[in-house]
Amino acid sequence: METTHKSTDELLAEIENLKIQLEEANDTIEAIRTGQVDALIVKSDNGHELYTLKSADQTYRVFIEKMTEGAVTLNRDGIIVYSNSQFGKMVGLPLSKITGIFFSSFISPGDENTYEDLISRGWTEDSKGEVLLSSATKVIPVQLSITTLELDEGTSLSIILTDLTPQKQTQLLLKANNEKLQQMNHELELSNHDLQQFASVASHDLQEPLRKIQIFSNFLKERFATDLTQEASAYLDKIISSSQRMKVLIIDILSYSQLSQEDNSYVFTDLNVLINEVLEDYEILLKEKKASIIVDPLPSIEVNPGQMRQVFQNIISNALKFIRKDTPPYIRISANPGVDGNEPATNNESFCYLSFKDNGIGFDDKFARTIFTLFRRLHTKDKFEGTGIGLAISKKIIEKHRGNIIAKGQEGVGSEFIIVLPTRQNTF
Amino acid sequence: MNKRRLLLAEDDEDDRMLFSDFLEERNDFELVHSCENGMEVIEYLDAIINVDELPNLVVLDQNMPKMTGSQTLQSLKSTPRYAQIPVAVYTTYTDRRLIDECYKSGAITVVAKPISPSGYHQMMDELIDLIPN
Repeated sequence: METTHKSTDELLAEIENLKIQLEEANDTIEAIRTGQVDALIVKSDNGHELYTLKSADQTYRVFIEKMTEGAVTLNRDGIIVYSNSQFGKMVGLPLSKITGIFFSSFISPGDENTYEDLISRGWTEDSKGEVLLSSATKVIPVQLSITTLELDEGTSLSIILTDLTPQKQTQLLLKANNEKLQQMNHELELSNHDLQQFASVASHDLQEPLRKIQIFSNFLKERFATDLTQEASAYLDKIISSSQRMKVLIIDILSYSQLSQEDNSYVFTDLNVLINEVLEDYEILLKEKKASIIVDPLPSIEVNPGQMRQVFQNIISNALKFIRKDTPPYIRISANPGVDGNEPATNNESFCYLSFKDNGIGFDDKFARTIFTLFRRLHTKDKFEGTGIGLAISKKIIEKHRGNIIAKGQEGVGSEFIIVLPTRQNTF
Repeated sequence: MNKRRLLLAEDDEDDRMLFSDFLEERNDFELVHSCENGMEVIEYLDAIINVDELPNLVVLDQNMPKMTGSQTLQSLKSTPRYAQIPVAVYTTYTDRRLIDECYKSGAITVVAKPISPSGYHQMMDELIDLIPN
């Protein structure tokens, strides 16, 4: 028997030959799987037979293989008879280790019932559901889309697996952000409520006792001055001036807190008129300080006149307050020459630039932002009086007008306040 | 000239004392009564039978329990029997809205509460000028 007496060399050659055949077969399978092959020629007893693969299902075979979803086919027992490479990636196994085992072995223990329900329903109707897919290395949330397939071998179950990890992450992030937003909203409501409570407290409960201090100390001063020693009288003056200062503080805080609830009606206003009103109020002070004020022609724009007057007043009052000892104050108020607020509004919103430049003591430019903070003072109140609220109010008003205010300063040279305002507020 | 009869509504005891002390220093006003809130004002006026005995001026504190100054003002102005009595509102804290509201309701004036004796007399000088003889 020749065949039983093959030499070792012959056997080795045969093995080598079989290996090559196996590799070829694997390559062919791979080629079929990835759609590189259109036809197979198989040698048979009747000669060469051509098996063409370029049928309707070739497109789908490629499609299934290339898509980002996992795809498996199960037989009646729930054993995987086919899997695409994407499913292999999902569970981190080579395809050879996937076919032939129970699909349920990839379902996370907690989700087995859900899975069983889905599968049993899947045999009668299309079904969809979410489960956790677990493998040795990871657990991922997936959506299973189950449908039956009529194949030559009989009915099998096709499952498309969509990785829900990115969606779940986005959902979590969205949920977290929503919660954060709600929390912030709640805090904002609380603080708004507090602010209004505060305004009411400040307007009555704080001012009434303060007024008592004022009236009774003034009473002493006006009616009992002769009974008081010089020292006592000096103390009394301190009480009176401190309570006056306290009064100004309360009023200023109140007007700051009320800005948000005040009426927001905007009317077309000639800014020159507003400036003139402020300057008239300061007429005596301007004369006293020998101040010169140059006002260039200003545009007419839509503002809340009362509020804007307050801004101008705050800036001008600052310019008259923070002056150099030896130099009479000089204020130049101008509008950007390139911008004419009287132009009809076009689609591009037009803005008005206003500049208030003085020759006062100025400030270090590093404070350019902080001077707008509530209660921010760069000088002791002995040197320059004020509550430190004026600029904070101004900023709030300008921001309500959707504008911007910035300050530029140079110590010992002067300050400049620049206001940028939209020329229109009302939308038509 | 006869003293003008003044009715005061003021919930604060110190303020009632100050008001009546300063009135006593004057010969143009006579404090006929002090009420502690707006309700009492109405009750007091309702109890007056002879219309000629109604006060010549009512001064209302704004911040009072039960009925505020401006509420009392509205109530008086909408009652024909009292609509002609001059009413002044005086308050610790005046805001633009309150001032507008009171003038609209028919107040002859809205004033900030004085903070000195001279301030009181100044306020009363102004009040006497505002009421018809």
